[in-house]
Amino acid sequence: MAIVSKTANSASFRNSRRWLTVALALYFIYTFIPIFYVIVSSTKSNADLFGTFGLWFSGDFHFWQNLQDLFTYQDGIFSRWLLNTILYSVVSGVGAALFATFAGYAFSKFEFVGKKLSFALVLGAVMIPQTALVIPIFLLLSKVGLVNTPWAVILPSLVFPPGVFLMKVYADDALSNELIEAGRVDGAGEVHIFFNIAFRLLTPGFATVLILAFVATWNNYFLPLVLLNSSDNFPVTVGLSQWYALATSGSGGAVLFSIVMAGSLVSIVPVIAAFLIMQRYWQGGLGAGGVKA
Amino acid sequence: MAVIELKGVEKSFGSVKVIRGVDLKVEHGEFVVFVGPSGSGKSTLLRLVAGLEETSGGTILIDGRDVTNLGPAERELAMVFQSYALYPHKTIRGNMSFGLEVAGFPKDEIRQRVDEVARLLQLSDYLERKPRELSGGQRQRVAIGRAIVREPVAFMFDEPLSNLDAGLRVDMRIEITKLHQRLGATMIYVTHDQVEAMTLADRIVVLDKGIIQQTGSPLELYEHPANLFVAQFIGSPKMNVLPAAFKDGRISINGGVGIEAGKMTGTDVANVGIRPDDIEISPDGTGLIHGKVDVVERLGSDTFAYVAVPGAHAVTVRAPRDSAVAIGQDVGLTFRPERLQVFAADGASLRPRPGV
Repeated sequence: MAIVSKTANSASFRNSRRWLTVALALYFIYTFIPIFYVIVSSTKSNADLFGTFGLWFSGDFHFWQNLQDLFTYQDGIFSRWLLNTILYSVVSGVGAALFATFAGYAFSKFEFVGKKLSFALVLGAVMIPQTALVIPIFLLLSKVGLVNTPWAVILPSLVFPPGVFLMKVYADDALSNELIEAGRVDGAGEVHIFFNIAFRLLTPGFATVLILAFVATWNNYFLPLVLLNSSDNFPVTVGLSQWYALATSGSGGAVLFSIVMAGSLVSIVPVIAAFLIMQRYWQGGLGAGGVKA
Repeated sequence: MAVIELKGVEKSFGSVKVIRGVDLKVEHGEFVVFVGPSGSGKSTLLRLVAGLEETSGGTILIDGRDVTNLGPAERELAMVFQSYALYPHKTIRGNMSFGLEVAGFPKDEIRQRVDEVARLLQLSDYLERKPRELSGGQRQRVAIGRAIVREPVAFMFDEPLSNLDAGLRVDMRIEITKLHQRLGATMIYVTHDQVEAMTLADRIVVLDKGIIQQTGSPLELYEHPANLFVAQFIGSPKMNVLPAAFKDGRISINGGVGIEAGKMTGTDVANVGIRPDDIEISPDGTGLIHGKVDVVERLGSDTFAYVAVPGAHAVTVRAPRDSAVAIGQDVGLTFRPERLQVFAADGASLRPRPGV
């Protein structure tokens, strides 16, 4: 007797699909409302921002004016912040992903003394929020005179324990030991094997860690807030919050709210672009055909 | 071509001894097959020779050179893996060239050598494709080609045919035999499939629990197994084993009448073994042992009868294909006493072996 599970035509299937759709729709609305609010608010003038309904456009489309104000206010320092954020995020993202790939590959494919302990430390480090480490990092970097330089943000961001964990798991799965051994028998050295064989097959994992590390640095607020003190080195997050603080303090800065909103919108665009660009590297089946499972 | 010599080779993983002191010499151009059940250490032994595992003891010599502490590349061997282990992002040409590129050969020579080997293995039409665009058999040919191109001193094969379907496996087996004849190279081949071992090998090394159980030509192993393990491992269907005892100069099988013992090196008889092809079915009441036919398998070329013998395992008999044997029939089983293998309680054969 055959056991037939739900098919696309059965009533129970349609029913459960309906409920799932509703649940997902609610979740989508929940996550999308803040973004929608930012989009709507960035099109409003400062007066409309407080005078009209928050979740819909006002008659007066003020977006281009807001953008212009954003990039000209305080001699256009926002562009500087944007470039800083891009610099910190790209260098940290690529660096963190590279280190994570090296470490993950080593954890996955090599036997060495202290391997279990070191990996346990990596796992433990995943659970420590960077916020908790900011003060020690500050003291450390101030000793070597790196506070208030780009390195103050980049160096700590190169350490990305979740990436190491991800790359270890990914290498376990995506990279067969026999491929590495084939390379060894063919006479290739370990570095050659890593860059010519292993790395190519680890690209999807690398791309994942790259985007995660990139976004983590892009969104990082507390670390740069503590470690940087000159406005020229600020990333967008810290810069915008300073403007926001200025706006809320009243004293003639109230006009800044609409600029902060436009700035928020501008600051999320590159992240979305990065996701769309990196998407194609998440292709499956990169290793197909090399080894037979 | 190379002579590969293993002297007291040992390997442990933690406290587990996987290889327990192996001595073996593989001669120039010899095709040696390591065979054994899973966990016997056959693959580990091959990996030790290839340099992919470090030995825990003993020495490995290639052409008299101690290579025990050298890496795989310095041993100048080539290896073909079970999973093919082709570089998936490289073309077939890229896969076959890789070793030569690493070794710094000039481009022209690489191209020429790869073309030549591709012709030999009928891969010329696929050189610019990626491994995923090839069938299993073609991929395995590429893996073999990658090994040949480097002109290694010896070839290691680690269960290269296990992933292929039955028909293709037979074809590839023949190709490998031809290849060995053409190249005349030393080859070590690991398999768990005793048919593959029998058909390919000049010499078979039977391993179990990290120890060489017996080394010899396929027929030697078939005719004169050194112990019960080898007797049961080599040959398909398996050799029948029946309890036996030594009484008054004769061997009593399964508590029945005694038969002539023949030449023996001891009298500590515990079991006898007889191959399915050496047994004949005779009418009930005749023969040396008796039983009832349980199952009959007609394969076309042969008929296998499984006869339930009281007090023993089912006895397999290879009968002629037109045999009239039927399920439920009471039959006698008969065989020539000199075909009987005799084993002591510890499993060792009590038959004198030629040349031992």
